[in-house]
Amino acid sequence: MEKNQKVVVYGALFSFLIAISLFAYTVYASNMLSYLSSDPKACINCHTMHSAYATWERSSHKDVAKCVDCHLPVDNVVNKYKAKAIDGWNHSVAFTMNTYKNNIQIGEDGANRVQANCVRCHSNLNNTLMENSSNYHNMNTQNLENTRKCWECHKHVPHGKVRSLMSTPYNLGIQEKLK
Amino acid sequence: MKKYKLLLAISVIAIGLMSALVASINEKKVEEKNLTAMPSKATWEAKNEEFRKDFPREYDSWKKTKKSDDIEDMLKKYPELVVLWAGYGFAKDYNAPRGHFYAIEDNRNTLRTGGPKDEKTGPMPTACWTCKSPDVVRVMKKEGDLEYYSGKWSKYGSEIINPIGCIDCHNPETMELQVNREYLDEGLKAQGHEDLPSLADATQQDMRTMVCAQCHSEYYFNKTPLGDGKKAAVVKLPWGEGTSVDDMEKYYDNLDFKDWTHKVSKAPMLKAQHPGYEMWKTGAHGKNNVSCADCHMPYTNEGGVKYTDHHVGNPLENMDKSCMNCHRTSEKSLLANIEEKRARKDELHEKSMAQLAAAHLEAGKAWELGATKEEMKPILTDIRHAQWRWDYAVASHPAFFHAPEETLRVLGSALEKAGNARIKLAKVLAKYGAADYVAPSIDSKEKAQEIVGLPFKKLVEEKKVFRDGLMQEWKKEAEQKGLYNPKSTQNIEDKTSYN
Repeated sequence: MEKNQKVVVYGALFSFLIAISLFAYTVYASNMLSYLSSDPKACINCHTMHSAYATWERSSHKDVAKCVDCHLPVDNVVNKYKAKAIDGWNHSVAFTMNTYKNNIQIGEDGANRVQANCVRCHSNLNNTLMENSSNYHNMNTQNLENTRKCWECHKHVPHGKVRSLMSTPYNLGIQEKLK
Repeated sequence: MKKYKLLLAISVIAIGLMSALVASINEKKVEEKNLTAMPSKATWEAKNEEFRKDFPREYDSWKKTKKSDDIEDMLKKYPELVVLWAGYGFAKDYNAPRGHFYAIEDNRNTLRTGGPKDEKTGPMPTACWTCKSPDVVRVMKKEGDLEYYSGKWSKYGSEIINPIGCIDCHNPETMELQVNREYLDEGLKAQGHEDLPSLADATQQDMRTMVCAQCHSEYYFNKTPLGDGKKAAVVKLPWGEGTSVDDMEKYYDNLDFKDWTHKVSKAPMLKAQHPGYEMWKTGAHGKNNVSCADCHMPYTNEGGVKYTDHHVGNPLENMDKSCMNCHRTSEKSLLANIEEKRARKDELHEKSMAQLAAAHLEAGKAWELGATKEEMKPILTDIRHAQWRWDYAVASHPAFFHAPEETLRVLGSALEKAGNARIKLAKVLAKYGAADYVAPSIDSKEKAQEIVGLPFKKLVEEKKVFRDGLMQEWKKEAEQKGLYNPKSTQNIEDKTSYN
């Protein structure tokens, strides 16, 4: 083997080793494995979510629904992890590139998922609602707004009406991280 | 070979990208640490304004206690008080309380603390500072409780200088609620009640009351011998038998304790301080563990931020934040209800004072006519208990509201005991040929102070010398020691009941 070739081979193997160890470190530093769990604390790995965590943690939903129960599809594992991956990618990019704003808003895809989950859990209630609306409103006419989401009226559920990254100073989400 | 070249290229690119990513992750972690870290403060920092930068809403709302600045001379309002407290400091000067912001000003200005000339003179012990300042907590930690409690009030003039503030109730490092005065925990342990056997058992909700209870409760100065033959006046809560008026009366009687001997009646008197916590416990709010802070420091929204209002004061000034959270009725009807409670209390309150003042003066007359100690003893015991009960019912912040039934019960028993004393006195006076004796009426503070022989003008003169001299030196010394920022008390109007 020529000398140059040796350099390339060993160099390649060596950099591959470094890359592997660096990857291992990245997994550790970014708490990557925690994202495979459904623990809400995984969502406050990034401080952007502290406010969402703190408001949920004090809400009526805290004992019955974790972050993923509302924000991810629960029909099957493939859809769940697809959504998780898409959200994860978008959030990581926004967080790394600092492209997010103070008052973060849910995207359209995310909102549809949450709406589906509202309906899923509150189906009894929802049946009543559907019945009432078909009795008293014609759902098929276009002059009625039929695409509204639950939280357009239930504004406080579960994250509170007024919120932004700065609205929950000294909150529990932060303290739990500290301890 | 190509494979290796490709591997090398990919690895190098991956290393580059991952390095950037790891750097970014670590940068965010530092960012988060800065965001969530408690601002570090020198341990036991007592200058309240030092906390403003990190807790602007809490500090600014605390500072509003400055608005409560009216001096209401209670001796002028109820001149009988001068007779009731004859021979005791409260007959000299007693005002309705002002905001926390004025704790130090008022403590230095009251005629009760006298006009010391140096660190070893003056009528009061160091213990009189105990509830006035976060500097007390600092000094207690630095010098130990016994050292703090020994010597004259004037010993700490240049050390205790900032009014009731942040570290009175908070852990200076984590800002969690914390009671920083030992005697409260000792009181709870002595009481041994199953609901709250010690501070260590307190929940967060309990703490929202207990930080207030460290000062708004009944106490006495327990004379504790020091090594050098002198005694320290240590603040102690008389809760060994329980916290009701009867329990504490029993406790004091068992100890044979008295705060002072009455100048006119010679009765061994008790001064109830301000059993606000004890009274609150017996009322509807206390029984439901509605904490002090729930009403006096309600949650407040400012923009999107929810925080605890530190403008401690009268909850009726912002009923929408306090009462209306729980009571589904109109503010008007609640206020009317409270006024009724107040009127009921006032009626018995004033009747008790009139009875007590007459009893003291009649006892004075009996002594003058040559009554014996044996004849007077049961009378003086009645007077002691009657006045203790009257004081217990009215000395705390509106007990008539916190515990209306208990307040009326205690006042009722005060009236009964004062009545008993006067029946016995009538017999003694008749025996010594003064059956027709009528105690002089007391219609002004000046007249009352004259009757009990209180040199008011001299006291004011002494105070003036102190306020122009030693007190100014204290402020300068404290500033030099870095304990006091004169800006924190800039533009405060100097208000007292006598100038």
